[in-house]
Amino acid sequence: MTTQTKYTVVAIVVALLLIYRLFYSVREAEYALITQFGRPVRTVTSAGLHVKWPWQAILWFDRRLRIYNPRPSEFLTRDKKNLVIENYVAWRIDDPRRFVESVGDTTAAEMRLHDIIWSGLSAALGAQDLDSLVAPSPDQVQTASMLDQLTNNADRAALLQYGIRILDVRIKRLNLPEQNKQSVFARMRAERERIALQYRAEGEQQALAIRANADREKEEILSAAYKNAEKIRGEGDAEATRIYGQAYSKNPQFYKLLRTLDSYKKILDDKTTIILNSDSELLKVLTRGEAGAK
Amino acid sequence: MSTVVVQRPEPEGVELSVVRGPLRKASHNRLYACVVGLWLLSGIFLVPADEQAVVTRFGAVANPRVSPGIHYALPWPIDAVYKLKTHQLRRTVIGGDIPDTVLGRMPAAPSEFLSGDQNLLNVRVVVQYSVSQPTDFLFQTEDVDRAVEASVESELAHRIAFTPVDKILTTEKVATQNDVLGAAQRTLEEYRSGVILSSVNIESVTPPPEAAEAFRNVAGARADAIRLVNEAEGYANDLIPRARGEAVRLEEQAQAYQAGRINRAAGDAARFEAIASEYAKAPKVTSTRAYVEAMEQILPKIKKLIVDSHGEIDLTVVGRDPNTTANPTGAPQK
Repeated sequence: MTTQTKYTVVAIVVALLLIYRLFYSVREAEYALITQFGRPVRTVTSAGLHVKWPWQAILWFDRRLRIYNPRPSEFLTRDKKNLVIENYVAWRIDDPRRFVESVGDTTAAEMRLHDIIWSGLSAALGAQDLDSLVAPSPDQVQTASMLDQLTNNADRAALLQYGIRILDVRIKRLNLPEQNKQSVFARMRAERERIALQYRAEGEQQALAIRANADREKEEILSAAYKNAEKIRGEGDAEATRIYGQAYSKNPQFYKLLRTLDSYKKILDDKTTIILNSDSELLKVLTRGEAGAK
Repeated sequence: MSTVVVQRPEPEGVELSVVRGPLRKASHNRLYACVVGLWLLSGIFLVPADEQAVVTRFGAVANPRVSPGIHYALPWPIDAVYKLKTHQLRRTVIGGDIPDTVLGRMPAAPSEFLSGDQNLLNVRVVVQYSVSQPTDFLFQTEDVDRAVEASVESELAHRIAFTPVDKILTTEKVATQNDVLGAAQRTLEEYRSGVILSSVNIESVTPPPEAAEAFRNVAGARADAIRLVNEAEGYANDLIPRARGEAVRLEEQAQAYQAGRINRAAGDAARFEAIASEYAKAPKVTSTRAYVEAMEQILPKIKKLIVDSHGEIDLTVVGRDPNTTANPTGAPQK
């Protein structure tokens, strides 16, 4: 190897080293903090190729959103009810310089977050009745506005102290402490008993109403039919009477004769004994001969 | 991260070989050209049909959405290619694992939620989602699965906390699913997670075992109530048509009676009028004939005592028979 070649090799190595120390690329998911002899000088938040002095070093930070789940803890509401609450915090590093100066790494950050959120949550819940967290209708529940306020306060504090942005604090689970559950189960059972009784009684009530209604309707239908039927019969009788009257009034005497004779046919049967006067119209001829017929 | 650059052949290396002899220079040139060529070729990449790719240049996004097919990106360390199965449905379960039937593993205890009327409920939800924004999915959230789980679970807890237990168990299950889906999707968009929720499915919602019997009793009571009502309706459905039929029968009978009465009256009247018109022609004879004819019909059937008009009548003869009636006069007076 000639001297010239040696120089060339050295020059290339130096050049490559220089390139390596001068240029760096920041990925989308990262922040770069440029430090000079351990002292942070600037933060690079835009992804892409960047230049620094060769003597400056880089600290990398994950800028992505993280979900932190603190352990479930017990809180006391204003009306002295215990609640076990499991929440989560959505956070990310916003100011790497403040973050590295005050916290250092994510584990330490989550411990700080736990403290901020825990104290915020216990203060917020201490100002709420259980009814405003758990209620049968949506407009009674204040949880969302309470958490929004909590998020804002926690965000302001965390940003100022730790360079952390808190996007969201939310309750994942509302539960009762183990020692309260038995009484809740007993209450649930009693409530169900009551509802079961109510369902059965309501069913019976409805059934009775339907039956009574049917009976009434039946009576109405039949009585209306009777009314109509009697009216029709009456009309028939009236018409018949009119026809008879019209016909018979033309010759009432003859009608009387015929009708009386007809009624004799019905009145007089084989059990009847009749005593006839020999002077009667029928027998006059029998007793007096032809003179009787006059 | 870019230390490896040093070991890679650089364009300067090609210039360097010019100083060598002509023979070695040619073979060196070929070698260098080959290495550079291979390096350039390493930028070719394939995106399978079910995937999409994101290309970054020096860490910054250069092409956010590369569709399936064969593509070229500048070789390492300039460009980087991230491939993602965008159409694949990812799945996460809230409230215990899905029971593993193959291994015979028991399902984990489902999680408890507090309902609006302070009942405890065990709820298990299956969430399905897919990637909608590959760049957000890759670079904005550290653990997307966790973010999905957290947002869905918190919305579920919130929704259940203002709904009475009966509604969750019965009528509002679907509405709850839809509400949670919508709200969790909004939250995930706020977080820029780059996912789209395709379904939030409440797989099971059950009362705790300590109160399960009481809940079953309520279900039984509801069924009993429905049965009672059905029976009553059956009774009504049987009774009313019968009554209607009976009503029709009554009216028909009345109609029949009416028609019968009128027709008979008309018949009688016609008959009487016919006879009467004959009677008018010879009243004396006709009435005598009518009288005699009637007597002929009546008298043969009955017992007769004929007495002289001036004689004494011993009525004891008649009195012996209680059924007999005395009728002292016979003929009608004309």
